[in-house]
Amino acid sequence: MRAPLALTMGDPAGIGGEIALKAWSERAARGTPCFLLLDDPDRVTALAHRIGIAAEARAIAAPGEAADAFAYVLPVLPIGMLPAVVPGRPEARHARAVIAAIDRGIDLVLAGAAAALVTNPIHKHNLHEAGFTHPGHTEYLAERTGLATAPVMMLACPELRVVPVTIHVGLAEALSALTSAAIVHCGRVTGAALRRDFGVAEPRLAVAALNPHAGEQGLMGCEEIELIAPAIAALRREGWSVSGPHPADTLFHTAARRAYDAAICMYHDQALIPLKTIDFERGVNVTLGLPFVRTSPDHGTAYDIAGSGRANPASLVAALKLAAEMAARRAGGASGERG
Amino acid sequence: MKPRLAFFVGDPNGVGPELSARLLASPGLRDRAEVTVFGDERLLPETARAGHAFETVPGLEQGALTPGKANALAGEWVIQGLTRAARAAHQGRADAIVFAPLNKQAMKLGGLAFPDEQHLFADLLEARGYTVEFNVIDRLWTSRVTSHIPLKDVAGAITTGGIVDAVRVIHESLRRRGVAAPRIAVVALNPHAGEGGTMGREEIEVIGPAVERAKVEGMDARGPFPADTVFIAAKRGDFDAVVTMYHDQGQIAMKLMGFDRGVTVLGGLPVPICTCAHGTAYEIVGRNAANPVPLSNALDLALRMAAAKSVQ
Repeated sequence: MRAPLALTMGDPAGIGGEIALKAWSERAARGTPCFLLLDDPDRVTALAHRIGIAAEARAIAAPGEAADAFAYVLPVLPIGMLPAVVPGRPEARHARAVIAAIDRGIDLVLAGAAAALVTNPIHKHNLHEAGFTHPGHTEYLAERTGLATAPVMMLACPELRVVPVTIHVGLAEALSALTSAAIVHCGRVTGAALRRDFGVAEPRLAVAALNPHAGEQGLMGCEEIELIAPAIAALRREGWSVSGPHPADTLFHTAARRAYDAAICMYHDQALIPLKTIDFERGVNVTLGLPFVRTSPDHGTAYDIAGSGRANPASLVAALKLAAEMAARRAGGASGERG
Repeated sequence: MKPRLAFFVGDPNGVGPELSARLLASPGLRDRAEVTVFGDERLLPETARAGHAFETVPGLEQGALTPGKANALAGEWVIQGLTRAARAAHQGRADAIVFAPLNKQAMKLGGLAFPDEQHLFADLLEARGYTVEFNVIDRLWTSRVTSHIPLKDVAGAITTGGIVDAVRVIHESLRRRGVAAPRIAVVALNPHAGEGGTMGREEIEVIGPAVERAKVEGMDARGPFPADTVFIAAKRGDFDAVVTMYHDQGQIAMKLMGFDRGVTVLGGLPVPICTCAHGTAYEIVGRNAANPVPLSNALDLALRMAAAKSVQ
């Protein structure tokens, strides 16, 4: 039997618990794949009562029990008791459990006891006091797994995959951080992931320009000539199928999207505007370049609606489904080689 | 009284004339507007001219007609056509102007003394204030504070005063369109709207103060909002207008949301001037394959703006 997905609790004051409960209780209608939740089972059951979801969270002793339990209860692998949680009110004393859930998830997936890691949203400021000084999950996972090269963030929905080369920095800083080497690295990691995890045998990458109208031959910016075109040439020399630099405003409509499997974008909003405009609910954050599959919903802790029962589980369900598909392809690819 | 419309057929070598022919022949147009067509008889069949006033724009020589190709003579003629339409409005003979697609390269070759048609119109109509181009899809209007400049120059080019000007012009144009109290979203520059200054400070130092100042002037401005979700809210109907900081910030979303219906409005000018959002589409000229909806939407919007203005 295939191992379950491991879902971390995220910030317990956010909406992670609620969307996990909804993903489980609506599993038939939504087609949610089997997962276990790394959390405190008592607090999850109490949360279900509070927001009126007919769901029971039950502690399991080992990940192998999740598959059988999933049909009847939400399987929770306990990571210790949580101090009382008030939805919408993040507290530093929860930090230890939040980090423990991530650590346990990494251990499970590295050991093969979980098929993939799916993480609920955290709020990094609340984790600082507990010694978590990383900008986010991605950097923490990279360090824990001893990665030599930086992981790459992809955002995916059924219609579009985008990979921002620069991420959570101001626009001015993003522009100075943009290099040919960074674009090449993103292209390489994305191409390899498309092949291995997304079932795209011959990946086609489209690289977005930075400036309006792709700079119009240097009239409106030189990065296309100086940074982006050389990066495209370098990727082509490595054998990748790459087009661009494309003007960003015409890269994302339906006809244009048919010409590529992923778009490499130069800055955060260039990737996120099309993704959210095309599919606001089902965007998934995928970390490429890790030794295992990791996805997460494409939203934050949403403290403002935590505990109200109004959180939408669509992005988490999409993250669970994509993680299951990617993990199955990796496993299938391995067995195919054996056959 | 029917609004009086000056209509120019656009670049003679693009899809403008064929789109104009269909639009001008459409049933009911003659009941809705008093149209004066600026063009050349060779470009429009009799069915398109019937029932409208027609003014020949002189100087369309045979050498100007190179379908599918930009041409200096055609560009010169286009400048003539726009000038005559603008003059009609300036002299009080037209309440609004609509033109079919132009070609910037042809106009440049033809000796255009301005960066684009926006500036040409501003000069001809003696508009001294801030002018800007709006992109309109259905009921949603957008404008941008900076346009055709390198992205790295954007942060240095946005100022509190410039943003307030942009908000004011779109506010006034929407009022002219008939929206009594336009709800205007102002977009952030940085990801997550800077997240409290941790990812850029322009929201705190430049954009936020502009929103506050616009409010003090009595406008319903809000923001700064993160760029990746503001258009979702706008599409849902939360806003009448979105003011963006740079070209692609607005264009990516707008082209996804309805490029096939998009209208461009030249704002800050004394008469409503509208055109379709697309260009001359040289690659499909002569096949009657161009989508007629955007130009038709441009005409509808111009007539509505002209009508709302005459009521005021």
